[in-house]
Amino acid sequence: MRTSLFEEHVKLNAKMVDFHGWEMPIQYSSIIEEHRQVRQKAGLFDVSHMGDIMIEGKDAQDFLSYLLPTDLSKSRIGKAIYSAYLNENAAMIDDTIANKISEEKFLVVPNAATTDKIYAWLVKNKKDFKVKISNISSKMSCLALQGPLSHEVMKNLHPEANNLDHFALTNVSEMYPSPGLEDATIVSSTGYTGEEGFEFIIPNEYAVATWKKLLSNANVKPIGLGARDTLRMEKGLLLSGQDFNEDRDPIEAGVSWILDWDHDFIGKKNLEIRKDNIKRRFRGVVAEDKVIPRNGSIVKLNGKEVGILTSGTFSPSLSKGIGLGYFDSDLKVGMNVVVSTGKTEGKCLLSKPRMV
Amino acid sequence: MIVKDGLYYTKTHEWIRLEGDVASVGITDFAQNQLTDIVYVDLPKVGAMIKAGEIAGTVESVKSAEDFYSPITGKVLEVNKDLEKSPELINKDAYQAWMYKMKISNPSEVSSLMKKDDYEKLIKK
Repeated sequence: MRTSLFEEHVKLNAKMVDFHGWEMPIQYSSIIEEHRQVRQKAGLFDVSHMGDIMIEGKDAQDFLSYLLPTDLSKSRIGKAIYSAYLNENAAMIDDTIANKISEEKFLVVPNAATTDKIYAWLVKNKKDFKVKISNISSKMSCLALQGPLSHEVMKNLHPEANNLDHFALTNVSEMYPSPGLEDATIVSSTGYTGEEGFEFIIPNEYAVATWKKLLSNANVKPIGLGARDTLRMEKGLLLSGQDFNEDRDPIEAGVSWILDWDHDFIGKKNLEIRKDNIKRRFRGVVAEDKVIPRNGSIVKLNGKEVGILTSGTFSPSLSKGIGLGYFDSDLKVGMNVVVSTGKTEGKCLLSKPRMV
Repeated sequence: MIVKDGLYYTKTHEWIRLEGDVASVGITDFAQNQLTDIVYVDLPKVGAMIKAGEIAGTVESVKSAEDFYSPITGKVLEVNKDLEKSPELINKDAYQAWMYKMKISNPSEVSSLMKKDDYEKLIKK
């Protein structure tokens, strides 16, 4: 599959790779240079492979607050709320942003690889809830502008977006009109890099023009999925399908702040049983030696296995190897551990997931 | 992807440049592009005897760690120390960034390596 921006990536000489069936740019010039561009200035990502599902109807808020462990009635209209779908076992199926357009309208953004699965999960659990669920993923593009200069860039294009709180949204359908897609056409102050920034969810027909307009600013460069991965890892942000894949609950995955216990939700019963006996915790490791932690690396303390990594890379900001994974919950941040990749082994410091 | 004339190539994406009985060894432009940004290299030891097809070292990028193999049998004379400090030189120009030089033991092995045209065909597949 290709996004509406495929030809633009090719024109920019991007290296294209397969990402869950999508032909996506992994890099334009260099992952490390693109990474620094986002940390220092601003970068633009095509993330149109991510899904867009509209949930509307009288019960939209109750329905989604039953599917997610987050009580969405507690957030005001216009908020973009991070949460995760749990199965009956309380294991995370996918994390998501739920955009609260109104109490009767939510636009949820599942990950690319899980969009069909989440759509089926929503439909399966609809039961007596009065909601209409529409998968509009193939009609919408998503562009992410990220970095400290994002606000500056938005001044000319969408000055109103600069007034948004963190994780909030504004409707921009007047600028990008498309019949039937008006409610879903938004700019939100969200992202996946740990930097300030904005995400544009707009109808496909506007993707190329918006991409070009944003790139016409000298402070903005196109950024591939390679840097997106190193950027999110430095900040300890979870990657669905890799850091969890229906095998971790939100407490061990370090996102217990998404839980509201005073409402009913799928997985609650099992999570209540487990919550006081969490054996593993999501943590980071920062290499002290020339080792680059990787997905699947084993972490040892005094020769004994104490953790397993689910993500790892070379951190362009720290110029060291970093990793993320699950560790025995009695380990303390700051401890010395050994990471073994199977190929190499090296000393690392145990860290909070956010390492930069 | 750049493939240079006058060099010999392997299926595992290494190249050699022959000067008499001394061969410089590196990885190809195709290989560096597949790896993405290279951040560490592990080079062989000077004096080591390496047989054709044996692991000569490791290149590690942001994305992955890959072994590289000696295209030819011989004794390591010199390693490119610059790469230890600046491994990105391999990304910048894979054919300038030689990894090690070796005195080759068996010149007839060269005939089993690919020339430019055959290697180009291989990477186009």
